[in-house]
Amino acid sequence: MRWIQLGEMDCRGIWGDDMEREDIRVAVVRIEGTNCERETALAFKRLEVFAEEVHLKQFYSDMIRDEDKRSLHDYHAVVFPGGFSAGDYIRAGAIFSARVRSVLRKDLKKFIGEGWPVLGICNGFQVLVELGALPAFDGISEKPEMALGINDSSRFECRPTFLKVENQKILFTRNLGKNVVMFPSAHAEGKVIFPSGREEEYIERLKENNQIVFRYVDRNGDYAGYPWNPNGSIYNIAGICNPEGNVLGLMPHPERAFHPVSHPEWTRNQQKDGDGKGFFEGIVSYLEKKV
Amino acid sequence: MELDPSVYISRNLPFELYEVDILNASDEQLAVISDEMGLALSVDEMRRIKEYFRQKGRNPTDIELQALGQAWSEHCCYKSSKYFLKKYLFGIEAPQNIFVIEEDAGVVEFDEEHAYVVALESHNHPSAIEPYGGAATGIGGILRDVVCMGAQPVALVDPLFFGHLDTPYEALPSGVKHPLYLMNGVVAGIRDYGNRVGIPTVAGMIFFDEGYTGNCLVNVGCVGIAKKNHLIRSRVGGVGDVFVLVGGKTGRDGIHGVTFASTELDEKSEEESRGAVQLGNPIVKEPLIHACLEANEKGLLTGMKDLGGGGLSCVIGEMALAGGFGAEVHLERVPLKEKEIKPWEIWVSESQERMMLSVRPENVDEVLYIFDKWDVDATVIGKVIDEKILRVFYQGYKIYEMDIEFVTSGPEYCRPYTVEKREIQTSVFDVPEPEDYEDIFRSILAHPNVASKEFAIRQYDHEVRASTVLKPLNGIAGWESHGDAAVIKPLEDSWKGLAITSDVNPAYTKIDPFWGTAVAFDEMCRNLVAVNSVPHSFADCLNFGNPEKPLRLGDFHESVRALGWMARNLGIPCVSGNVSFYNETPYSFVPPTPTLMGVGMVEDVRKVISMDLKRRGTALILINETRPEFGGSVYSSVRGFEDSNVPKSSPEHLRKSIETMLSLFSNFRILSCHDVAEGGVAVALGEMCIGGHMGCEVEIRAERADIALFSESATRWIVEVKEEDYTDVVEFLRKSGLKAGVLGFTGGKDMILRGAKTTKPLIYMNIDEVDTTWRNGLSRYMG
Repeated sequence: MRWIQLGEMDCRGIWGDDMEREDIRVAVVRIEGTNCERETALAFKRLEVFAEEVHLKQFYSDMIRDEDKRSLHDYHAVVFPGGFSAGDYIRAGAIFSARVRSVLRKDLKKFIGEGWPVLGICNGFQVLVELGALPAFDGISEKPEMALGINDSSRFECRPTFLKVENQKILFTRNLGKNVVMFPSAHAEGKVIFPSGREEEYIERLKENNQIVFRYVDRNGDYAGYPWNPNGSIYNIAGICNPEGNVLGLMPHPERAFHPVSHPEWTRNQQKDGDGKGFFEGIVSYLEKKV
Repeated sequence: MELDPSVYISRNLPFELYEVDILNASDEQLAVISDEMGLALSVDEMRRIKEYFRQKGRNPTDIELQALGQAWSEHCCYKSSKYFLKKYLFGIEAPQNIFVIEEDAGVVEFDEEHAYVVALESHNHPSAIEPYGGAATGIGGILRDVVCMGAQPVALVDPLFFGHLDTPYEALPSGVKHPLYLMNGVVAGIRDYGNRVGIPTVAGMIFFDEGYTGNCLVNVGCVGIAKKNHLIRSRVGGVGDVFVLVGGKTGRDGIHGVTFASTELDEKSEEESRGAVQLGNPIVKEPLIHACLEANEKGLLTGMKDLGGGGLSCVIGEMALAGGFGAEVHLERVPLKEKEIKPWEIWVSESQERMMLSVRPENVDEVLYIFDKWDVDATVIGKVIDEKILRVFYQGYKIYEMDIEFVTSGPEYCRPYTVEKREIQTSVFDVPEPEDYEDIFRSILAHPNVASKEFAIRQYDHEVRASTVLKPLNGIAGWESHGDAAVIKPLEDSWKGLAITSDVNPAYTKIDPFWGTAVAFDEMCRNLVAVNSVPHSFADCLNFGNPEKPLRLGDFHESVRALGWMARNLGIPCVSGNVSFYNETPYSFVPPTPTLMGVGMVEDVRKVISMDLKRRGTALILINETRPEFGGSVYSSVRGFEDSNVPKSSPEHLRKSIETMLSLFSNFRILSCHDVAEGGVAVALGEMCIGGHMGCEVEIRAERADIALFSESATRWIVEVKEEDYTDVVEFLRKSGLKAGVLGFTGGKDMILRGAKTTKPLIYMNIDEVDTTWRNGLSRYMG
């Protein structure tokens, strides 16, 4: 492949021929309280790409030594992982997104505009929503257009969730090879909420743009209420993407479904791979082939 | 503090410091001083201190006396328990032991390159006063115990014990909080701390007994994993090493936590001891763990220890002495939460989220950079010196100087104890067989000690870190039932796993502490074996009443004796533990509660066995003998009779059974396996049916079907095998010297249990009804 230095801080190269897997660089962005970065980075590493956990400070702070400094443009994909960033003592994801907004807003906008994949899992989904990067009907919005509210049960719910893949064409879902996948959920604030009175309009708009990617179903694949929909999300929405399909946020955790032995029923029915593997393979093969 | 100017002499300094005139104090005055200063030391202990200072020719300062109160508390020096622990439990040799007993956590070999780390503790008194904060900081403390060995925590465990949820409010003694309030607060505290810090809570138990009404028990365990070459000890490396205090700031929260934990609770505890409850912050803890492990893995540390009970006062002395040295500390450097805090308060504060590192001077800058990167405070507060003396300075004034060996030479007692035989005249043979088995079975399934604990389990993130291979709930999604042990795959590049369980049945120990404890050990092994793991090590958390009362100490003696007897004969080492005494109030004391956390070695996590029924038309085999043992059984509680005959265990038979079960798993395809415990065979079958959402048909040929179905005899399992295998399996088991028989077969949507005497089945219930009865047993109290 051609390796062209774009600038001092940019060691990513640009798209040329197919990329080798080991040249693909993925950042999993952490701050205090994010807690799924290890397994999220591992999901990529198992597919032989370079993935690292990067503290947000490494993008901007003066106290960081040169060898630890990073730029968003060093990477081909960025993931905001699950956890309780900064404690989530106010609205989930609010503090993390405020920090990202203050230091990375321009970079992230450019990154998304160039078509690089951006993924938010659980708390990361909340962060992307707070940033206005989802649903982003007309590009990244100034203010959040939706919210992930407190679960209907009013408590944290850790349980297996089954998801119908409503849009199998985006880079994240192309390699799943199934209509229904199992990614477990574990959150207290995952209920998709649209502005009051405009719910129908939002759902229609999402549908038109093919932005609804995952919806909660029961283990037979039928749309169902609690506990299959663990939070009371409107229209059973579990995950959505931007209109372009390169930014995805979802509450359930694909990184917890990578190995066949992660499936809650693996001692009953053995699969060759966990459903999460196909999910991460989608991102990697997109990056390999994008010319 | 009530200040008597003739005893407490204020030093003329820019800050508050008192000299305490003990040299001229009578025994009576010594007792008053101990009480007024909240030292919880006896007159004998105070006299020893007086003698020490007489030789020094001066009176102690307040900070010196406070330090001794911490160091010599039951909580810190195990003065009432050590004698018994040494006699019965310590020193079980096993090839897998790396560091056992002497550190904050036990360290055991995992594979050639790795060790796993085990710790188990109580956080009882704080949780009884402030359930949410008490439980949360309990998790914080146990995580630090594991991290300070250089290990990454991978699993949390939380055994909980409360009074009955339907206790009427008017029956609560003054100052006692309702069990439902306590349980909800404790579960929420574990949830909000454990989930935030990102370590999965994978196992535990919730047990109800009226003995816990005044004094709930909150135990918490943690398992971690470390590279062997990253293991680090709680000791300084050498003279010149620098003490770096890292993590949270120090405040007035958690003053006298250990002395509070070393006395009985009463109605004034809330008011007097609220300040002894620490405040946790998981979002300081989460980066603190990363930073400590990063600094350790880079080889920058010579020692690491967590600040728990006793705060700085305990950690500095213990780390210095363990290395064979002394220390000098400059207290004004400690980062504070509030101004106006007195030097002695800084010294003994148990503020959370703090760790102490010892670092060679040349590595300090690198260590400070790592902590700065993680936005975690790190401050140099002192250094290691050659003499075995501890000196503390504040704003340049020396305020403390004692020999470390004196400070850490807490007393050790062999207090008088009485072993009580609780004779109960009645037994199961005094009650007739039930007329309606279904009715009894429903009551047992809905019994709070049997019913589903899903409401708590699902509030804990048991999958974060994505390495939970066997989850706490097993079976078809939506119909899961309680598993026997959780299994974690701690390393990315290995299929080896760790099985984790926590066990004790206080209904047995209450009647018979010896056999109850032996059976807790049996159950721990049974659970580990059921998932196809080899019992490998365990930790104990011994929760008892006031050891100064001979009957309570007698219970403790019997319990420790049984534990040592079982563990030694099975060659399973006790690698770490904690004793919690004084779990009593003027109204009641807790049942003897020796909580055990067992760890099993899983050779290949892909070979783990779960407990849910897998297929229709398979055979169910019961392994080992059912005896009429109903002491402490759920059946006796439901039917309202008493029986002193608690289940018993034999180490020889348990060992043979473990070996046979493990070889059964490697020789035959075992579809599911479940241990038989509370509620006996009937409940074990019910849970297997629930998890598989599948019925079964079973025939009981015994004369008394209630004995066969509901006895809680130990060392039993039920396995599910393919129909064509069952005769071979039974023969294999019998040849190995175990009793085994076919109970029946799986299939259908009903649970059908037939007796020998009538054609009508004893129990004929749709599995959905079994499921609902079991699932709603607890939630009906939750509102």
